[in-house]
Amino acid sequence: MEGFTTLLIVLGVFILFAILGYNRLVRLRNMAEKAFASIDAMAKKRYDLIPNLVATVQKYMEHERATLTEITEMRAKAVSGNLSDNEKVDLDNKISRAMGGIMVAVENYPDLKANQNFMQLQGSLNEVEEQLSAARRAYNAAVTDYNNACQMFPSNVFAIVFGFKTKRLFEVSEKERQNVDVKSLFGS
Amino acid sequence: MIHFFMKTLQEFENFFNQDMMPDMEALDARRKTVVKRGTTIVLVTLVGLLLTSVVYFSLDISKQDNNSFFYYIIIMAVILITGIIFGGTWARDKTFYYDFKQQVIEPIVKFVSPDLTYEPKNFVGSDSFQRSRIFLNRVDRYSGDDMVHGKVDKTQIWFSEIKAEYKTRTTDNKGRTKTTWHTIFRGLFFIADFNKNFQTSTVVLPNRLGRGFLADFFKKMNLSRREKLVKLEDPDFNKHFVVYGEDQIEARYVLSTSLMKRITDFKEKHPNHLYISFVNSFLYIAIAYQKDLFEPSYFKKLTRFSLVQEYFEDIQLAVSIVEELNLNNRIWTKQ
Repeated sequence: MEGFTTLLIVLGVFILFAILGYNRLVRLRNMAEKAFASIDAMAKKRYDLIPNLVATVQKYMEHERATLTEITEMRAKAVSGNLSDNEKVDLDNKISRAMGGIMVAVENYPDLKANQNFMQLQGSLNEVEEQLSAARRAYNAAVTDYNNACQMFPSNVFAIVFGFKTKRLFEVSEKERQNVDVKSLFGS
Repeated sequence: MIHFFMKTLQEFENFFNQDMMPDMEALDARRKTVVKRGTTIVLVTLVGLLLTSVVYFSLDISKQDNNSFFYYIIIMAVILITGIIFGGTWARDKTFYYDFKQQVIEPIVKFVSPDLTYEPKNFVGSDSFQRSRIFLNRVDRYSGDDMVHGKVDKTQIWFSEIKAEYKTRTTDNKGRTKTTWHTIFRGLFFIADFNKNFQTSTVVLPNRLGRGFLADFFKKMNLSRREKLVKLEDPDFNKHFVVYGEDQIEARYVLSTSLMKRITDFKEKHPNHLYISFVNSFLYIAIAYQKDLFEPSYFKKLTRFSLVQEYFEDIQLAVSIVEELNLNNRIWTKQ
């Protein structure tokens, strides 16, 4: 009888740990997902700026017409939805690169650089870029916490049992690592 | 881009020798007079007290008259009070303190940047202090002086020396209550208009717990704050600081990787305890000091460069925050 009670207690403790461990994993995963959603929100904010930017810039830029059209198309694809997370990230990276190119090209158009409207857009763009970078960093922090829980003992036991899988971190681009402000690209 | 150039120590030494010296000499002469007169009064008083005592004890007056001890005390008190009164009127230089502030501190402030205004009696208000959310204690006594404010290129700044305290009352078993004052913060309090807009508060505090699993656990347990622990990725930064923020993303938006690096560099240059917060698009920095800042000393030669150098460096330190944290970098929508 005594042995049975001991067994019950051990079982009870185990179940309690399992519940706590499971809940912790869920909470961490939700936080990571929430952080991913905010990257999405920031990315949308940037997409909203693109039509404006293209409209302002294309009056001045003759040689970059192709790039501008490309950006517009990519934006349309991005806002249309029904993309997987990975596709979203890829597209986002492509847009970043193309925009970076445009910003460098602005150098050749002094009139554009002095344009009030453009300067304002540039400020908003810098802001969104920085917010995007902040959101990515927040996501990475949340994912690190989650991954740690998935891989570290004892929570990894529950992660395996309940099928929690580690998530991939956002790779911080070389640009973000150095944290070059876009202004330096303009050389002003 | 216009850069705000910080003045070098060499430039300041030249300025001190060329422009400030005449005032310094005059002020130092006054200081010497005060010290001389003060010393005279102290000496005369001491001699008076000594003489009275010698007379009283050597002549054995105490044995002849029972009341003599009472008279002895009265005479001693009269000499002492006369000394104090004379010291207060003849030796004291009433305007020395504010003349010092006007002729020493103000020129240094103006030298650091002509756009800055110096107000010796003014200080950063307690409402700003509390708005910063750095220290959450109740403030029962608040004082300060030496306010400097103005624009450094594009950035509006304010700073002053402040002291904030709270009190506790204890009652002993005899029913006597004792009030004890505890310092919350003493030092330089700096406010700047930050170059980014943000709505939530982020607080950067000295990391007193170190690093590791247990330290992280206790950092997370900070229940007095509505801000939550923000784990940042810069290990050097984390060695010095622990960050709490209301919003995980905005905290990182404010504390960009480059700003973290700049704050770390600033911290490594200045060993003082550093508290930073970002609230409502303003930056607050509290730099703890053990000494009183920008105060004259009657016993230090004003014409000596090393003394003014200290004043210069303390002011420069505050103003340099703008440059060191790159606050003039207005590449976002906030101008």
